[in-house]
Amino acid sequence: MGCSSSLPDRSPGRVGGLNPDNGGDSDAKNLRVKLVLLGDSGVGKSCIVLRFVRGQFDPTSKVTVGASFLSQTIALQDSTTVKFEIWDTAGQERYAALAPLYYRGAAVGVIVYDITNPDSFHKAQYWVKELQKHGSPDIVLALVGNKADLQEKREVSVQAGIEYAEKNGMFFIETSAKTADNINQLFEEIAKRLPRPSPS
Amino acid sequence: MASDSSYASPSSDEEEESAGQKPTVDVNINSIDTSLDAIENQLSSIALNAPIDDGTVSSTDYHEEPVSEIDDGSLRESVSERRRNSIGESSSSRGSGLWRNNLEVGVELEPEGDGSPSSPSSSGYAGERGSSSSAASASDTDVIREIRENGSSMGDDGVVPLDPAQAQWIRGKRHADEDDGSISWRKRKKHFFILSHSGKPIYSRYGDEHKLAGFSATLQAIISFVENGGDRVKLVRAGKHQVVFLVKGPIYLVCISCTEEPYESLRGQLELLYGQMILILTRSVDKCFEKNPKFDMTPLLGGTDAVFSSLIHSFSRNPATFLHAYTCLPLAYTTRQAAGAILQDVADTGVLFAILMCKDKVVSLVGLQKASLHPDDMLLLANFVMSSESFRTSESFSPICLPRYNPMAFLYAYVHYLDVDTYLTLLTTSSQAFFHLKECRIQIEAVLKKSNVLNEVERSLSDGGMRIEDLPVDPSANFGSLFHLNQRKIATNGTVTGVGGPAGLWHFIYRSIYLDQYVSSEFASPINHPHQQKRLYRAYQRLYASMHDKGVGPHKTQFRRDDNYVLLCWVTQDFELYAAFDPLADKGVAIRICNRVCQWVKDVENEIFLLGATPFSW
Repeated sequence: MGCSSSLPDRSPGRVGGLNPDNGGDSDAKNLRVKLVLLGDSGVGKSCIVLRFVRGQFDPTSKVTVGASFLSQTIALQDSTTVKFEIWDTAGQERYAALAPLYYRGAAVGVIVYDITNPDSFHKAQYWVKELQKHGSPDIVLALVGNKADLQEKREVSVQAGIEYAEKNGMFFIETSAKTADNINQLFEEIAKRLPRPSPS
Repeated sequence: MASDSSYASPSSDEEEESAGQKPTVDVNINSIDTSLDAIENQLSSIALNAPIDDGTVSSTDYHEEPVSEIDDGSLRESVSERRRNSIGESSSSRGSGLWRNNLEVGVELEPEGDGSPSSPSSSGYAGERGSSSSAASASDTDVIREIRENGSSMGDDGVVPLDPAQAQWIRGKRHADEDDGSISWRKRKKHFFILSHSGKPIYSRYGDEHKLAGFSATLQAIISFVENGGDRVKLVRAGKHQVVFLVKGPIYLVCISCTEEPYESLRGQLELLYGQMILILTRSVDKCFEKNPKFDMTPLLGGTDAVFSSLIHSFSRNPATFLHAYTCLPLAYTTRQAAGAILQDVADTGVLFAILMCKDKVVSLVGLQKASLHPDDMLLLANFVMSSESFRTSESFSPICLPRYNPMAFLYAYVHYLDVDTYLTLLTTSSQAFFHLKECRIQIEAVLKKSNVLNEVERSLSDGGMRIEDLPVDPSANFGSLFHLNQRKIATNGTVTGVGGPAGLWHFIYRSIYLDQYVSSEFASPINHPHQQKRLYRAYQRLYASMHDKGVGPHKTQFRRDDNYVLLCWVTQDFELYAAFDPLADKGVAIRICNRVCQWVKDVENEIFLLGATPFSW
């Protein structure tokens, strides 16, 4: 079995800890990437992931504890597949100090805010800075304005999102986990922007 | 969602703890005045100045019947019985006197250090204890006391009217719109508060913490007023209400209750509440208060209301909260062995604890080397996992702290639900171990499926455990296995509703001291309704507190009769037995039945307990 007998805390070979093993199954045609979702509590990070991975939407709010791990594979038009290994982190303040545990070594950072909540947009900017400072140097960053179905309650303009994203070299999209609007597009777009390993 | 329907939904009628009294005093809570008069006024407004009807306690009839314990360790009724009606008179007058005292606020102080015995009036058992000295002189230490409480006022349950509008169990904070100005808030029977030493609210069971800032400051004023006098406040009685205080460094915990639970029980509940907070944050939060005494802790506990609500809910529904023991899902010995073996395999790869549980019952658990897991930590961990819905959605990796193991440090928990009710928790000290633990889980899950353990677990959950109606009356009968019996039962009866056990036995709990585990019988008629179950647990709780009272105990046996039950408790070096009978049950027969229960438990112990594997027995 893959369960090695070495103690995890004593295996220096496993750098990055929460990164998947480089089991050799990541090649030019089949990518395997670590993706982390960050953002304030209640912006809908888990809902985005569950919509993407399981096609479900649950309106009852379930507070994430620590971080949940899910994975989903998508096929692109150029016949490559991308397996996302997703860390859906908790938005609560007490977990902020633990975020490096989850974003260390991540190839993709998805930072989510709620378009009806300006505070969550500020929090998103905090996470962008944090990832620029401490994330992987070649990390792909996406800024996501969620709850786009709640247009009448909108408090963060599309323009504000676009401007901030452009300034920081990020990909920007507004989504609705509730209506599934733009959810698959978000992940497909990320997949396209991933640096491809040079074919050897 | 499937995960929602899997949750037992207690109806709100038993959840709503409302006292049916109208507040008669209205005091401005927001003005803080540390003079004693002001504090008394505040307290009487908390207590709503409930009128006490002396008639409810004065009709106490009191019997004492010595019972001898003989050499084979079983109980036998002694031939001589004495009836002492005169004691009834004195105890009742004492009782009502106590109530009158309570109307004027009585503050009880705890000297620094825990050495001194608690004052007799600090428990609901004052009346009984008042006569215990005469009982001791009447016989040797093995005295079974029978106490009849006619029209006892202990039945706080079952009187709350059903409100269909509130029939939905809302997870998380309930009645968040209330504050200390709301009549509905003041009517709640049991409040829990956590606040900081500067008086900032941290948690309140009911109402919005921020709106309760004034009330919180009042509680803080009471505590610091007494502390300034070089003392510590433990308990304040005000009419029917008890205000119990627990100070943990910069964190203050307060319970205000009119449920008539003993002080010791309420204090134990505050300890668990504190432990739950430590499980989420560790004790290193204390440092935040060192840096800034006015530190606001509420954001740190964001999203955890459901965890605390669910713990408080379990105080009157889960005997583990006062027994300080855990319980196992009944399983065939070989099934549990198989589960234990695979858990042991992963524990050997650096997993600190591997715990397989089904709801709040343990299927199996192993620990690395001599690491030991305290039953209270297991309770708090299980409550945390079960009340956090996100664990049901996907596999998770989260920092948690086991307060009894190490209150200062986080461990990392890998949590994964194997089916709707069964979940695996792997604890490690390494923050980097997720993928290793995920591998371990895949391995464990494969073995459990292959060896049919998960199916057995599911079957045990639906079949239930020990049923009182199956108790053999014939002393020579040996049970062998619980499972043949349950299968036969289902095959012949089709239904699993009971009508009580032999000789009016209604329910029992057996706690093995050596194993730190308990087993309780399945609830059957006439204790079917959650109200009745809650009332019985409260009665057990009082019994537990009185048996473990350091001031007068430890007792070995107690026989109590009131309008609701006959309660029999028997404590030995190896076990504690709590049994409830029909209120008309004959004492001699009840004692014989208790002996049978103990024999039965011994006969099936390898199916109802986790033997040999518990860390404490190594």
